[in-house]
Amino acid sequence: MSETLETSIWQLFVEGDLNAFSTIFKTHYEALHNYGLKISGNPTLTEDCLQNFFVYLHDNRKNLSAVTQIKSYLFVSFRRSLFKLLKKERKFTTYETVFENSKDFEFSAEELMVEQEFSRIKIKTLVQLLNELSTRQREVIYLKYYSSMSTREISEVMNISYQSVQNTLQKAFTKLRTQVETQAIKRVFKIN
Amino acid sequence: MSKKDQSLLEILLNDSSFQNWAKCSNQNDIDYWDGWISKNPSKIETVYTAKSIITGIGFKKTSLPAGKINMELDAVLGQINKKNNTSVISLKTKRKTRISTYVSIAAALLIFAMVGGIWLNTSSEVVRKTGFGEIIDLKLPDGTSVVLNGNSEIKYDKNNSRAIELQGEAYFKVKPIPSTKAKFWVKTQDLKVEVYGTQFHVNTREAKTDVLLDEGSIHLVLNNGATKEMIPGEMVSFSKEKNVVTHQKVTPELPYSLWREGTYVFNNTSLKEVMKNVELSYGLEVEFIDEELQSLQLTGGIPNQNLKICLSAIEKSTGTRIVKKGNRLILFKNSNN
Repeated sequence: MSETLETSIWQLFVEGDLNAFSTIFKTHYEALHNYGLKISGNPTLTEDCLQNFFVYLHDNRKNLSAVTQIKSYLFVSFRRSLFKLLKKERKFTTYETVFENSKDFEFSAEELMVEQEFSRIKIKTLVQLLNELSTRQREVIYLKYYSSMSTREISEVMNISYQSVQNTLQKAFTKLRTQVETQAIKRVFKIN
Repeated sequence: MSKKDQSLLEILLNDSSFQNWAKCSNQNDIDYWDGWISKNPSKIETVYTAKSIITGIGFKKTSLPAGKINMELDAVLGQINKKNNTSVISLKTKRKTRISTYVSIAAALLIFAMVGGIWLNTSSEVVRKTGFGEIIDLKLPDGTSVVLNGNSEIKYDKNNSRAIELQGEAYFKVKPIPSTKAKFWVKTQDLKVEVYGTQFHVNTREAKTDVLLDEGSIHLVLNNGATKEMIPGEMVSFSKEKNVVTHQKVTPELPYSLWREGTYVFNNTSLKEVMKNVELSYGLEVEFIDEELQSLQLTGGIPNQNLKICLSAIEKSTGTRIVKKGNRLILFKNSNN
């Protein structure tokens, strides 16, 4: 159902319907904006890039390959445009170096909910542990829990395999957990 | 982690019963998995990794300030229009054919202005338009508030926001100006609404105009020359095409203006009627494969700002399937029921 709808909205947009274009813009702008801000840390740059990205998308709509998942498609192409721009700005050459020397995907205490199901530790400690993870692990966590993406969508956006997303998640949480949940495991052993 | 543990992790993550255990949401599943864990203590690492992946990290969502997204969209649409003049022209001609009556008046005014040596700046016209399923709150320069329903448009001159042209559906809360007793006009293809300060609702869909008065008083000038006075709680419908006027008292329970809160409220309303609402605010055509579905009764609220959510709410409450093809919505019985 939702796929059929998405496909037809996209189809209308490709045919030049500005209403469909506006609908796509309004549905996804905020998520893309927050994602871009997380990567670049620069609101002006993010907004300029988003504007150019949407204009480009409209102007080249006839040459775009068939799109079935609008959200991950937009994330993939916006991420690409943003990296292109950042490369120019920061004179970095590869994806890894763009990340290494920046504060990308660093989390702050204000971004996290006070009540965490994951574990009952202080938010300050959790933020610290999250920021000790690799940038790639943090991006997967961001896309999964902030942008509510499926493993399949994350693999498309980050251009890595399904299995790597799964492994990255597993490694990230094993690391987080071994540091904070030893207590919880002990409790379970006591109960049983 | 070994290959075996990895495939166990994959199985656990996709198991809905395990997900329930992780979220503590179903007692049967909690008992089952607590038991399973005590029998498989060597799997505890994998189980807890899976659990933490399911519960995840809770983020607060940052939302952009109201109006920001619209502002950015306007900027993008502006750039698109600048680059692509042909699309602007086609849009404008489309609009003009729809309101051909006003085109001749505008043309006459333009000639008059040119003869008088006055440069009439065409860009002084302000157009506000909503997309499918979008509802916006507008404040006009004179202080009047307008709630514009989906797939609707208002137009006015920058220098006079008290004369509005409307296509679609809108709710007006007109700010009275006691010192000058300045009137406020809403023009549609069928009639002209003339007021001082009041609250009313205008709907121009379905080839007729409905005016519903909430407060104050209204003077209507129909396009056939007739005039009407209205008191609160009354609704007047007029179709220029059919030249039919109805003037009636409406009960407040009728869902005429509830769309403003972002919800359609239905009270034993037929599915046919409900789909009419969807058709109009999203600019779609509805087709019933199974005709008897039309008479299904619906009671309750349905969100109307997002087509996807709106349709899925209708599907769930009526046991139907709705498939979108182009700009047609096709309704049929859900064979899984």
